[in-house]
Amino acid sequence: MSLKRITTLDELHNYLHAAMQLEHATIPPYLTALYSIQPGTNSAAFHVLRVVVVEEMLHLTLAANILNAVGGAPDLAREGFVPLYPAYLPDGETDFEVGLQRFSREAVETFLRIERPARSSEESQRLVRRQRVDRGLLPTFRAEDDSDLHFYSIGEFYQEIGRGLAYLQEEKAKSGETLFSGDPARQITPDYYYSGGGEIIPVSNLETAQEAIRLISEQGEGFGKRIYDYEGELSHYYRFQQLVLGRYYRKGDAPDHPSGGPVDVDWDAVYPVKTNACLADYPQPSELHAAAVEFNARYKDFLGRLTQAFSGRPELLLDAVGDMFRIRETASQLMRNPIPGTSGLNAAPTFEMPLPTET
Amino acid sequence: MHADQAEFQDFLSLSSVVTGFTAFQLQGTGQAESYFSTLIDILGEATVAALLQVFRRVQRETGEDAAALDRLLRAAIFSDEKLGPIARNLIKLWYVGTWYPLPAAWREAFGELEKDTTFVVSPAAYTEGLLWPAIGANPAGAKGPGYGTWSAPPRIPEV
Amino acid sequence: MSNTTLGKPHRSDPADVSSSIYDVVIVGAGVSGAIIANELSQTGFRVLILEAGPGHDLTIPGYEQYLSRFYASASKDNNAPYPRNRNAPMPRSTDVRRLQPGEPDASGYIVQNGPLALDSTYTRVVGGTTMHWEGKALRMLPEDFEMRTRFGRGLDWPISYEQLAPYYRKAEFELGVSADVEDQAYHGIRFDPGYVYPMRGIPASYLDKTVARGLNGAEVTLRGEKFALTVRGTPQARNGVPNPRYDGGKGYVPVGAVSVEQVEQGERCQGNNNCVPICPVQAKYHAGKTLVKALATGRVKLLPQAVASKVVIDPGNGRVRHIEFKAYSDPGSTEHATGIARGRVFVLAANAVENARLMLASDLPGTSNLVGRNLMDHPFLLTWGLMPEITGTLRGTQSTSGIQDLRGGAFRRHQAAFAVSIHNDGWSWATGSPYSVLADIVDRQNQFGAALRRRLVDQVSRQLQLAFMVELLPDQNNRVTVDARYTDPLGNLRPVISYGLSDYTLDGIAYSRRLSRLIFQRLGVEDHTTYDPLDYAYVSYKGEGYTVRGGNHWAGTHIMGTSAKDSVVDGAQRSWDHENLYLVGAGSMPTTGTSNTTLTLSALSFLTAERIRGELDQDRSPATIAAA
Repeated sequence: MSLKRITTLDELHNYLHAAMQLEHATIPPYLTALYSIQPGTNSAAFHVLRVVVVEEMLHLTLAANILNAVGGAPDLAREGFVPLYPAYLPDGETDFEVGLQRFSREAVETFLRIERPARSSEESQRLVRRQRVDRGLLPTFRAEDDSDLHFYSIGEFYQEIGRGLAYLQEEKAKSGETLFSGDPARQITPDYYYSGGGEIIPVSNLETAQEAIRLISEQGEGFGKRIYDYEGELSHYYRFQQLVLGRYYRKGDAPDHPSGGPVDVDWDAVYPVKTNACLADYPQPSELHAAAVEFNARYKDFLGRLTQAFSGRPELLLDAVGDMFRIRETASQLMRNPIPGTSGLNAAPTFEMPLPTET
Repeated sequence: MHADQAEFQDFLSLSSVVTGFTAFQLQGTGQAESYFSTLIDILGEATVAALLQVFRRVQRETGEDAAALDRLLRAAIFSDEKLGPIARNLIKLWYVGTWYPLPAAWREAFGELEKDTTFVVSPAAYTEGLLWPAIGANPAGAKGPGYGTWSAPPRIPEV
Repeated sequence: MSNTTLGKPHRSDPADVSSSIYDVVIVGAGVSGAIIANELSQTGFRVLILEAGPGHDLTIPGYEQYLSRFYASASKDNNAPYPRNRNAPMPRSTDVRRLQPGEPDASGYIVQNGPLALDSTYTRVVGGTTMHWEGKALRMLPEDFEMRTRFGRGLDWPISYEQLAPYYRKAEFELGVSADVEDQAYHGIRFDPGYVYPMRGIPASYLDKTVARGLNGAEVTLRGEKFALTVRGTPQARNGVPNPRYDGGKGYVPVGAVSVEQVEQGERCQGNNNCVPICPVQAKYHAGKTLVKALATGRVKLLPQAVASKVVIDPGNGRVRHIEFKAYSDPGSTEHATGIARGRVFVLAANAVENARLMLASDLPGTSNLVGRNLMDHPFLLTWGLMPEITGTLRGTQSTSGIQDLRGGAFRRHQAAFAVSIHNDGWSWATGSPYSVLADIVDRQNQFGAALRRRLVDQVSRQLQLAFMVELLPDQNNRVTVDARYTDPLGNLRPVISYGLSDYTLDGIAYSRRLSRLIFQRLGVEDHTTYDPLDYAYVSYKGEGYTVRGGNHWAGTHIMGTSAKDSVVDGAQRSWDHENLYLVGAGSMPTTGTSNTTLTLSALSFLTAERIRGELDQDRSPATIAAA
């Protein structure tokens, strides 16, 4: 799929679907790193990853709220919603790989890039013409001359959504209508969704929609050039950076210069899971293979339940939380089981869905 | 690893039969090697080897016949004065991560063992106990299932 | 909040402390001390807190050490997460044994004089016993404050429910209570119009709902009075869904884990089923949450590992001159330095047992000679059985609902009232389940493999345990004393307790057992309740035997009243004998009704802080005090 400049409601829906897909796409990599940490170790990293996952879920939910507010129908269960890993995100002139790997220095480097990609310095640079990789997480942008362009980074993608929302609302207002005509009962409210930092915003008009966009795009990289975001919360980028720099940030610290207590990271207290494992890596038939298939099925159910929750049954979010608990148990089991025939590599969830037909 | 890979695999097979969880699930706790070495540490290699040897014989003799396996295990291990208490302790070790002292009669017959005292193998041995998944619960104090999940009917895995 | 510095910079060394005069010196960094320290430091006063236990706990790694110790402990008792500390020892339920008449048992920290052995505990670390409390936050009934007048039993309080109500609201805010106000107005409990709790009620468990289906509306008759039973949500000091209508529509922001570094955790209960002895994510309130706010003012010094050893009185005017303390740097060694803490006002907030112990060790039994007397707790009778269907055990918080209908009524002229909790953690408290069930299936039922798993589900996942928390009235023979024969390693006198149950309470216990039978009969529950005559807490009464557990609700050792003759403190918890001394906490409560004590003692702390602030405001000059 490729996107065009937002001039129609359909196109806006396409963008918001893409946004949900994008916000979700970082969750499996974060979960893989989180679950690979051995219990009772790496408390600092565990807490950072846990908060980031919870907040990526918040972003996904915010995107769903916006989509619902403008009359769309979120669908997380549809084919292709979950990418095949490794996938790629744009980082200016190049793309970088986002894969499923254990908690490691390399993984944290990737997370830093996810959370604070390069920003274009000039307006003309917001869309760039360059070689396209397969498995890019962001759709391409179809220019008016029908050539394919690329968003410089995620930031530019959200900027276009913000612009499109404002434009379409203005158009609607001309005829006395509103863009935000979605059923309010489909909004997820704080009663049903809870996140450590940043509260869920029910979207009902342009202001709340823009606020939601701002929260999605700023929670990762911070507000302006500061390390804390608009809510006074340490941004994801600087949370991860603490693990690399070995020190916690305190209020008042300058970027890159944390002054808090030491952060202890034990890079070895991690299950040696195979990077970007896929079902084909596991012998068949085996309990291991069956468990990996079961994991994917459960994850798919989880996405299905989220879809229902985002379709007027917000109370199902509680069940979705329960799903996550069971998903975690299966993931942990996989990660503690060696893959036969490898020298010391353990299995991991593959997040392949729908299941590849050849298995 | 205290013993060779084959012994460890036998340990896993025995553990699977006595606990009712699959080898994959046992490995999935991350505790298998730790329990195997704990067992050897407390009982000594010879006793553990003897237990596994009897188990291998039972397995060989019963093949795929579950009823026969059950019968022979009771005959050769669970009712054996030396191996029975060890097998029962092994079940508890897997279920709650705790080693409980062998019965007084055992110690009288086979000698006191220095490390045969009540202890939890490790903090993770507690949280990874099989008791909790067996009853569809989380270990108290860990793996909280999420706000409000307790309002729904329990989901207990079928055996 | 999350960036409050709480590490070593806030610790003071004993010499430093001794050279300063504080506005307020508080003994004990538990909930009472934390609230008073916070209230007074927020308005500009300088506060010193002496804490007997260690203080490295207000960080996530510090907290996780508790958790890890709990995981690795074979006994999962109330104090399992907290390190043994010879210099500030703690009572542990595992230390309690059956008493022989006339022979005190000094094997645990508390010397038990009997007649009944009491297995209640408290925790001596920063945060105090709120580290392991369950978090039930029920208000007392209006009638509980007037027991003597209304029922001719126990004592009246010098203050009424109405007078305490504004402070209950403050306490419900501070502790972060989750409850639906419409469920909580019963037996005369009144709320201001429009009042809501900070957070909505914690969802009822599946077990609660199943019990409610079978029980709601059932009628029982007690001494001619009819009561309809209702399963009702319990107010709990743990984080749930904030109520947007709180505080006139301003809402409420839950307070999560306390940490030096920014960590988002514990803003909502996850159902870890471990409120007691430690909530792993700090979704349950503990006093550390209040302490960090106090410390953030920069006007509060917290001196951990400093055991108050003597209250020193000026013989001329009866005022407290200073408090002596023993500061140790290593919990494993008795090596210590003695220091003194000087201030304008002194507050003993160590808990009912330790407050009395310190006063008596300082040879201060009071004009009324009531210090240490009227020791109270809530005796618990547990009854247990198997539900006819699988309801799921060990899920959710340990208890989410209860039956409160027999907390009040005319029968209180004759027998004790009680509150009932439905336990989501099954028979844990009563029998040591699920460990005991596992051992039984493996060792006695001779099961293994799949059969073992099926029996576990059948015998654990249908468990129902009811806990009857029975009223105990003040009785001067129930008391804390000290005895020079019993000292701790630092040389401090240990508490010696005498404890027994009156017929009034035993009648309440006996009726609890009868009521539980009716409930079980109605629900089709298979009754498995048995009380072992060899148990240390076994009592016989009117031909039947019961095991009575302690409730950790130590109270009444310095009760409040209307004069120095009938009480130790006044209605604001100020000592009648020493005008610059306050004894705070459940020790001040003349009766405890059928409410867990923490919410009420927190409300009292707010009331007392207001009184102290008024006094300090009258004279802002520390110099005059130093001269006194």
